[in-house]
Amino acid sequence: MKINPRILNSIKSLPAFPITVKKINRMISSPDYSARELASVIKYDQSITANILRMCNSAYFGLRHKVDNVQDAVLYLGRDNLVRAVLAAGISRYFKKTKGYAVEGIDLWEHSVSVALMAQILSRKIYNHEDPKLFTAAILHDVGKVVLGEYVCESCKKIKALVSEKGYDFLEAEEEVLGVNHAQLGGEMALLWNFPADIKDAIAYHHRPDMVKRKSNGLVWLVYLADQICLMTGIGGGADGLAYRGLKEAFDKFKLRQQDVEEAMILLLRGMEDARDLLDIVPDKRSVPRTAPQERSLRY
Amino acid sequence: MFPGNVEGVFNTFYAMKEIVVGIADLKVSRHSDDIMVTYALGSCVAVAAYDPAARVGGLLHFMLPSSSLNVSKARENPSMFADTGLPVLFKSCYELGADRKRMVVKIAGGANIIGDASFFRVGQKNLTTLRKILWRNGILISGEDTGSNTNRTLRFHIRDGRVQVRKSGGALEAI
Repeated sequence: MKINPRILNSIKSLPAFPITVKKINRMISSPDYSARELASVIKYDQSITANILRMCNSAYFGLRHKVDNVQDAVLYLGRDNLVRAVLAAGISRYFKKTKGYAVEGIDLWEHSVSVALMAQILSRKIYNHEDPKLFTAAILHDVGKVVLGEYVCESCKKIKALVSEKGYDFLEAEEEVLGVNHAQLGGEMALLWNFPADIKDAIAYHHRPDMVKRKSNGLVWLVYLADQICLMTGIGGGADGLAYRGLKEAFDKFKLRQQDVEEAMILLLRGMEDARDLLDIVPDKRSVPRTAPQERSLRY
Repeated sequence: MFPGNVEGVFNTFYAMKEIVVGIADLKVSRHSDDIMVTYALGSCVAVAAYDPAARVGGLLHFMLPSSSLNVSKARENPSMFADTGLPVLFKSCYELGADRKRMVVKIAGGANIIGDASFFRVGQKNLTTLRKILWRNGILISGEDTGSNTNRTLRFHIRDGRVQVRKSGGALEAI
């Protein structure tokens, strides 16, 4: 794959979400912080999740197995490294907005959380349990957009024209105009950071799970389904709207019925309310009226 | 001394109040300064109902077609479904002085993921159910921007009943 070197260079550091950073720092500074509580805050933040997983899986730690969830990462890293990871995520390109995908009232962060919650709703429905690895994969699925947003912004007109006039889906349009789509780029980022292979696949193929070559355990399909259902619910990506191809086999694979999808949408609304209560970091101004005013600059 | 954009000047002096209507939510108003906004319509559908004489308007943002899916949820929040949300929308407008015979209705949303599988066509189901209910009650749709595969944001001005729609980050257009 030939990717614009400018795009590749931007991969190196990711912006973070300051309210989470503050919260985490406050928790870490207490002498007896609990790894479980800390993980429950960190896991809602895609940039910090990415950073601490990257750190954990780096050669420096030389762990024999890949770390694929936040709670383990918190335990392995210890206080000092955590502070570094969180700050690194926090100070680099602090309030930078990923313009290309932005639509008023929607932000990438909220979408990422909703897909992670939806993935857990589906996992509970299908397997009767949740899966921390699935949560990680789901919250990071759009990580490529954080970088690609800049370039989508520059080329927005061209991309939209391909979608509305030539019947392209958004991925095809991104590829044609930018030489790479946000899923592939996310996959490259995951590779660079040494993420476990199935998380990398779930990111790289989250719109085309049918194209995964490796024998898959369903992770990528669940992330795909969760993403599509969130787009329908309107907790969406942004400029890409719903312009993606529906793969019916996703539903067949897990024997899901139409009713299951609709019920999942209802559960998601409730889940998003709970996530707001838990963290208060979704800078939202639409769905839940009782949320306090948020920092607008957090919007993507 | 007076710039051309009179409305713009007016807005500067008398800050318009934006009322946000969330997913599975419903708001009504008879305050001329109110502008109702609903963001991020995907497959969900927004229904704006307005009485131009009484200057009363209501906006419903429903998510799914039929309350038969989850009756207790529908009782808790009727705005979630078309069949339970619409009666509440109209009744709430009447309570504020709107008259059934004067109601003007405009709709937006109901987008779908690309493809034929019914799973991805919640938007289409929403629109079909909405049209059936309005038709049964003799209510015409006087403006709409529906279907396709774009996100939409809708703004609804209580002052004059104007409804504007923005598609996937594009320009605001009246419907």
